[in-house]
Order: sequence, then C-alpha cells, then structure tokens
Amino acid sequence: MRELISLLARVAQGAGAILLLALLGAAAVFFAMRAGHGDPALAVLGDMATPETIAAFRLKWQLNDPLLVQFWRWLSGALIGDFGASMVVATGEPIVKLVGSRLPNTLFVGAYALALALVISLIAGTISALRHGKLIDSASTSLAVLGISMPDFWLSYALIYALALGLGIFPSYGFTTPSLSLAGALYSGFLPALAIAAPMAAAFTRILRTALLETLFRDHVRVARSLGHSENFIFLHHVFRNALIPYVTVIGLQVRYLLGGTVVVERIFGVNGVGSLMVDAAFARDYPLVQACALVFLACVLLVNFAVDLICTRLDPRRA
Amino acid sequence: MNRRNALGLIGGSIGAAALPWGTTAAWAQAQTLRAGVTGFTVINTLDPAKASLIPENYIMYGIFNALLKFNDKMEVVGDLAESFQAIDATTLEFKLRRGVKFQDGSDFTADDVKFSIERVADEKTASPNRSKVAPISEIKIIDPFTVRIVTKAPYGPLINYLTNTRTGTQIISRKALEAMGPEAFARRPVGTGRYMVKEWKPNEGVELVGFPGAFEGAPKIMSVNCPFIAEESSGMTAILGNQIDLTSTAPFADVPSLEKRSDVKVLKQPGLNTRYIALNNKRAPFDDVHFRRAVSMAFDRDLLVKAVIFGEGVVTPGVLPPAHWAEGKPVASDFLKFNPEKARAEMALGKYKAGQEGVVLIWGSNWWRRIGEIFVGQVNQVLGTKLTLQAMDFNAAFARAKAGDYDAMVMGWLGLVDPDEYIGEMLGSKGFRNIHHYSSAKMDAILDRGRAEVDRAKRFAVYREAEMLAIEEMPVLSCFTSNVHNLTRPNLKGFTQMAYSNFADQFGTITLS
Repeated sequence: MRELISLLARVAQGAGAILLLALLGAAAVFFAMRAGHGDPALAVLGDMATPETIAAFRLKWQLNDPLLVQFWRWLSGALIGDFGASMVVATGEPIVKLVGSRLPNTLFVGAYALALALVISLIAGTISALRHGKLIDSASTSLAVLGISMPDFWLSYALIYALALGLGIFPSYGFTTPSLSLAGALYSGFLPALAIAAPMAAAFTRILRTALLETLFRDHVRVARSLGHSENFIFLHHVFRNALIPYVTVIGLQVRYLLGGTVVVERIFGVNGVGSLMVDAAFARDYPLVQACALVFLACVLLVNFAVDLICTRLDPRRA
Repeated sequence: MNRRNALGLIGGSIGAAALPWGTTAAWAQAQTLRAGVTGFTVINTLDPAKASLIPENYIMYGIFNALLKFNDKMEVVGDLAESFQAIDATTLEFKLRRGVKFQDGSDFTADDVKFSIERVADEKTASPNRSKVAPISEIKIIDPFTVRIVTKAPYGPLINYLTNTRTGTQIISRKALEAMGPEAFARRPVGTGRYMVKEWKPNEGVELVGFPGAFEGAPKIMSVNCPFIAEESSGMTAILGNQIDLTSTAPFADVPSLEKRSDVKVLKQPGLNTRYIALNNKRAPFDDVHFRRAVSMAFDRDLLVKAVIFGEGVVTPGVLPPAHWAEGKPVASDFLKFNPEKARAEMALGKYKAGQEGVVLIWGSNWWRRIGEIFVGQVNQVLGTKLTLQAMDFNAAFARAKAGDYDAMVMGWLGLVDPDEYIGEMLGSKGFRNIHHYSSAKMDAILDRGRAEVDRAKRFAVYREAEMLAIEEMPVLSCFTSNVHNLTRPNLKGFTQMAYSNFADQFGTITLS
C-alpha cells in the first residue's frame, strides 16, 4: 500500500514537472521562432507577394499584435487543448487534427527504431561481454564505433542504395501508415527505423558491454560462483540485472537521437510524421505549428525519461 | 532458392499487398499515375486568383484552362478561346469554344471569363497577380461566346498573361465559386481541365481524378497520385525504386549519371528561369557602378555553370533566359567576361578599394549555396575584397532584401513568361521584384515603351535596349539559366515538357505501358 502511494506521488510529481518543463520549452520555442528573421506571409505568398497581400495576411493571423499578447493567446488556447490552425503548411487546418493524424506514424517509427536498437544492443552487447577480447567482440565494438560515427542522413541513403535499389528487398520511398496495414508499416518502416536505430544501438551496445564486463568481475559474482550456482543463473540474476541500470539510464539519455533522427529520416523516406511536419513548419515560419510539434516532441522526451526513472527505481530500490 | 531471394520474395509480397506507393503489379489494374512533386511540401490554395507557389501551379495546370496557352514551340495559341484578334490597339476579341463543360456540370460561357479575370483584378481578392491585369479597363461580353478585353492603353504583355501559366487568369466556374465560397473553392476547385481534386492531404500530397467530360477529352489515366517529396534526391531514389512514375524536378548533380541509366528517362531543356546575384544598389559597397562592374568581371560565370549545376544550364548575359523569345544573341560586353586585370582597373575608378567588406546572403539547397560560395571566393581572390557569406533560409533572406537590409544575395526567378516580368519587374523602379532598390529614369522610360508595345518584334528591340542598359549599369549580376528536368519511368509516354516548368497539364495524355 505504502509502495503504491509513493508510486502515485512520484507519478503526480512527475506529471507536474513534465507539464511545467513542457510549457517552459514551448515558451522558449515561441520566442526563439519570433526572434529569427523571416515572415510567414512570404512563405504563403512566395515570390509574388505584394505589400497589400502581406498586410492582409498579417492582419488575418493577428501577427501585428504585441508579442506577449500573441503568446498569451497561444498559451491560453494550448492549456485547453486548442492549438489553433496552421498558418502556412496547411492553411486553416486545425493543428490538433494535423499533428494527430501524423503522430501515429512518428510514434510507430520511433518505437520501431527503439525496439530495433534494444534487440541489436542486447544481443551484441551480451555476446561482446561474454566473448570479450575475441574476434566477435572486436567486430561488434568496431561496428558500434561505426554506428556512432555515421550521420543518419548518410546512413539512410546508404541503406536505400544497398537494400532498396541494390537488392530490391525494401521500398526506396514511402511509408504505409500502421492503421492502414500493420504488416505494411513494419515492412516500409524498416529502413527508416534502422537508420534511426543505428546510432542508438551502437551507444547501447557499448554501455551494456562495459557494464556487463565491470559486473562480471565483481566480488558478489565470485562469491556466487564459489557457492556453485550455474553460470546462466549467475549471469541473469547477478550480472545482467546490475548492468541494466546504466543501460536503462542511457536509453533515457539517448532518446534525443530518436528526435533528431526522425526529423531527418522522415524527410528522406517520405514518412508523413511530426518530424517532417516540424521541419516544413519551421522553414515556412508556421509559428503555431512549430510550437505544437515542439511541444509534442518535448512531451515525448520527458515521458520517456520519466518512465526510465521509474524503471531504474524498480531495478535499484536504493534510488527511491 | 537462396536466402536473399526468399527474403526479397517475402518482402515483395508484403509490399504488394500493403504499400500505398507499392509495386507496379498492384497498381497495374487500377492504372494510377504516381507523379511526385519533388522539392516542395507546401501548397496553400488551388484557387488561381490566390495561388503563388510553384507547386500550386503544377497542380492547377491540370485542373484549369485559360483563354490561351503556349504550344510546344512556346507560341501563344487558343485554349478556351478558339481564336483571338486585335480589334484596335487597346482591344482584344476572343471567340470562345462552344459546348465546354465545367467539372461541376455547368456550361462555360463568356460570363465565367469576365468573372474570373475581374476577380483577379479586384483589390479585395488580394491576388498576387493583380498587377498583371490591372491595366484592363473593361471586359465586354458581346454574346455568350464572344468577349472583348479593353485596356486603358496599349498593353504588350497581356497576351502572355492570359495563358495557363503562373498568371492567375485561369478560368474558374462562377457558379461553383459563388455556391461554395472562396475558402471551400480553394480546396476543391472547379475548372474545365482534365482533372479534379479527389483528396488534398495538407503537407502530404494531392490525389486527382479524371474529368470524363473535359473538352480536351477524358484523360487516359483517370487516377493520379501526387505525393509531395521534400528532397529532390528522395524523388530520385523513389523513381529508381519504382515508387513513382514521374518527378517534377531532378537533382542537377545526378543528371549526368541518371542519363546513362536505362531504368529512368531524363527530360530536359533550357528553362525559363534566371539565377543571379541580387545587389543592393542603395547601399555600400554596391551603390558604386564601378564596384559592381569590377565584381562582375571578377568571377567566372562558365565556372559556375560547371561547378554549381554540373553543366545543366547556360551562362546568361542579362536577366532574360535564352529560352525566351525576347532574348537575343549573346552580348559581347567586357563587363560580363572574367578578367582579373580589367576588374581591378575598374575597381580603381570607383570609391571602394581592396579590403572592402560586404555580406552575401545564401539560402536553399546545396547548389544555390554553392553559387554564393564560388562567387565570394573568386571575387575576394581577384579584388582583395573581404566579402563574406551568411546562410539563412529563403524567406528570411528575401524579407531582408525586400526591406533593403542587405548587401547582396543569391537569387532566382522561375516560370515567368513575359519579358516585362523579368526586366520590368526586376529593374523597373516600381517593379515588385525590384529587391535591388535600383532606380533609373532611363530604364523606366524603356520599360514603359516595352509595356505599351503590342508588336512582338518591336517589343524584342525594346527589351534588347533594356538588357544593354542593364549590362552597362550592372544593377544585378546575372549568372546563368538552368535546365528544367523531369524524370520518368521508361514505360511512361505522352508527357511534353515545357520551358516554364509545367506538370499536371500533361497528365491527361500520359500512358503507362
């Protein structure tokens, strides 16, 4: 009972912190966007804009109001879930609808990438640690270095050339939304997910290998061995569980890769997600849309970090 | 069967069953044309009176017709007008086609012509193309199939401004607009073209469906999918991977290698576009004509064509592209030739010396930026100046240029059809493309003559004069014209490329074998 209450308290505390941080982040995005050069009117009207059409646009979207008034209007709407309408990218379209229709694609590809990174790193990290110093260890650590050093846009094109245009296994462009077909989403989302997963998988593999190696030679493992426990039992209960704590922590830290990754990779593979929407919105100075997208991403990072925090507490009760 | 084949087979069958841009097999029965709009992801409106962005025009070309159009030799011919003739210096008479239906089933008549063009001219519409039709004083309906357009004074560009290009004068259904209201019309526009909008997913793409009752005949492929593909290189990988059949552009750097392949066709020709360095004529250091000329002689335009667009274009002496009828033979002016000695000598005549600073704004994709990088590198080397680059996105740079808050900027215009849109609007003191803040009474007088002249041969001579003056005064540094490109699958037939960058107007004749 007490455990449950403390968990609920933590969740409430976490939710409050997330809300506060998200709003601070949104404010930062709001003012950073306005501080930059550029005019959404020009993005809509293009090179044919005339002073009259620009003035009409600014009036329509209330862009002449003082900045604080605009911010308050946006904030008071956002707090009740009304993010307004897109100014440029999808003129007049409610942002909630626009982002809502794209969020599943981004979440799917993100989760897919995370899952791939976890599977790859769990296998590679464990084998590396258990066979440390052997050829397979060198191979996997070298691959990890490669994975960390490769920029995602480069890797994306390398994957397209090798697996789509070369071998013809995967489509070179386009993504099937999971609600249309889960199999199609898994298939068409594989390359983008892999491109996002690669740097994460590399980072996870390295941390898992190091953590496992460190734990393998600790005193409590030696004691367990002297007590005659089987190697499998020792690995699972005494080594792996301890090594999981730094591993899970790093997952939380690396989620930012997911974001940077989605933004670039979505554009290259034509995934209609929140990442590519945010890039277009930023280029077009579609202020309310950028703010909404940024808020979604912020919330995702904060939520994952919060979940990681909770998991770490479970794994290591001392941290509670 | 080895493992690779098996994997491919499994992958392929899942893909055929599931992918929207899936394999040809799945699409063969449905016969959908997959035409990727590459390099763009945003369209705001499909209302001709309101549209301004290039991808909006790409789609609208297939939904609407105008009174006139360009044929494949870039001559003006009738579209919704069967014939046209000048009644006097200020009056054009159009005989309209009979029996033409709009996509909503209503009849096309002279009333729609009057309504569509007056709507563009109406200040309340705030059309970006208003200035093109502002000189019109009256549109007279003689009978349901005869219209006269009267201008306040002789107005040379009018014929070009009534074509189905970036003009805004496409003919819409009055009945549909009044019934739907402009907001709804902009999303589900009604014209006389061969395609109608089936679905428009903001920021994702547009689906078109054929209009069986089109006066040009029902399209051969009734269903067209136009995904917006943000990166041109993604458009290329998409067509190589058979995810699309046609692109609206191609990355310059890849054209040479794509031309060697058999699984893709490259269509290209010199485009109606101009790429140049815009200069702020009202501010140091480009307020000095000697400095402008010196800089012009301090960089090698041929090198730009080779290094920036991989030979996919030609050097232009002035702001008019060679594909345009008003452009004459290359001008042999020293001011346009790369010549370090003469450049330094010219600079010595002016008020700015070696060590002079200045900022060149660059933006956009790689090749656009490379123009600025090479330009600044060469000019600094030749003249000993200290020009620097500042990268930003186009809107930001353009906004600064319009406000006069810049020194120089890499710039370009695309798809303009009348010489007045190039020289007139770029260099006329009141021209709305005049971000150069260049003002010359002499130039304005020449441009006024060009606008007032309706005879094409005489207009040619006038714009020639304007080009020569521009080379003397060098208000901008013209660089080159690039080719326009489309990539198609080898089995695609029936797409005729036009120099002004056309697209959906050709979908109706396309077949996929």
